[in-house]
Amino acid sequence: MDFLPDRLPWFIAGPSMGLLVVALYALGNKHLGVSGGYVQVMTWVRRPKMAEMWRVWFIAGLILGSLVLSLLRGGQSIGLEYGTLSRFLPLGALIPVLFFGGMLMGFGARWAGGCTSGHGLSGTASRSPASFVATISFLGTAIAITFAIHFATGGQL
Amino acid sequence: MNRLGFLVGIAFGFVIAAAGLHEYDTIHDMLLLRDIHVYLILASGVGTAMPLLWLLQRRRVKTPLGGTIELYNGKVERKNVFGGMTFGTGWAVAGTCPAPAIAMATGGGFLAVFVIAGLGVGLWLRDAVTGGDGIKNITKLFKRAPLQPGTVSET
Repeated sequence: MDFLPDRLPWFIAGPSMGLLVVALYALGNKHLGVSGGYVQVMTWVRRPKMAEMWRVWFIAGLILGSLVLSLLRGGQSIGLEYGTLSRFLPLGALIPVLFFGGMLMGFGARWAGGCTSGHGLSGTASRSPASFVATISFLGTAIAITFAIHFATGGQL
Repeated sequence: MNRLGFLVGIAFGFVIAAAGLHEYDTIHDMLLLRDIHVYLILASGVGTAMPLLWLLQRRRVKTPLGGTIELYNGKVERKNVFGGMTFGTGWAVAGTCPAPAIAMATGGGFLAVFVIAGLGVGLWLRDAVTGGDGIKNITKLFKRAPLQPGTVSET
């Protein structure tokens, strides 16, 4: 279907995400965060009774919601594309790099107490000092590392 | 509460995918400061939520499902800095983060599965090393067996 633009404009996407953070607080007094959801899904797999179930449902919702959008766009075919990165790295190198990147994110998110959603979006909106510090830390580091990758690859990435 | 979590998750996943946040190049261009799209999303999201949350907090609103509202208010600790740096490195390498990785996978990007697997291992590893409660527990690792992972969730 064509009624969805390629990229939803920021002035719709941003405030919608902000309102979702508010809705979760206003209705359930809960803090929106995705890496916490991952942890609860893993807990649920091993010890179902110990898990915070609403976070497991939240992840299930993320899967469904993004799948619906993908289907509305005509259902993308399954592929091994990874943007510019897959044009630069052969598959055999790309897979371990992505796994390693994911591992760093997981380790760091658990260490910092949240990720781009829990600290970057809902934490800063809650005016939590830890979240401002974590956000400055991960955003600053990510920009620096991305520029390092950019120059190390002669501008190809 | 489960229903609310599910509904908010659906909407959140939908918006992330609709805004193109699940694409490597969107995040890579953001971090190369070539494109302000993502910064505008983040700023307008926080700008929308912050005053509303402040108002809810000031009025001590009683939520239907979770008692009187209490916003997350974390004290600054070293772990926020070091954990953030570790997270930021992985973010730069993979060009995606925990929610967009899911949207990437459901959008047909099969390789996102490896990022998600890595995320799971990393989250688990951190708990395995510390018992899930900050840097000071590393020292405790040598004194007794690690605690069961996944019991502490801060955000």
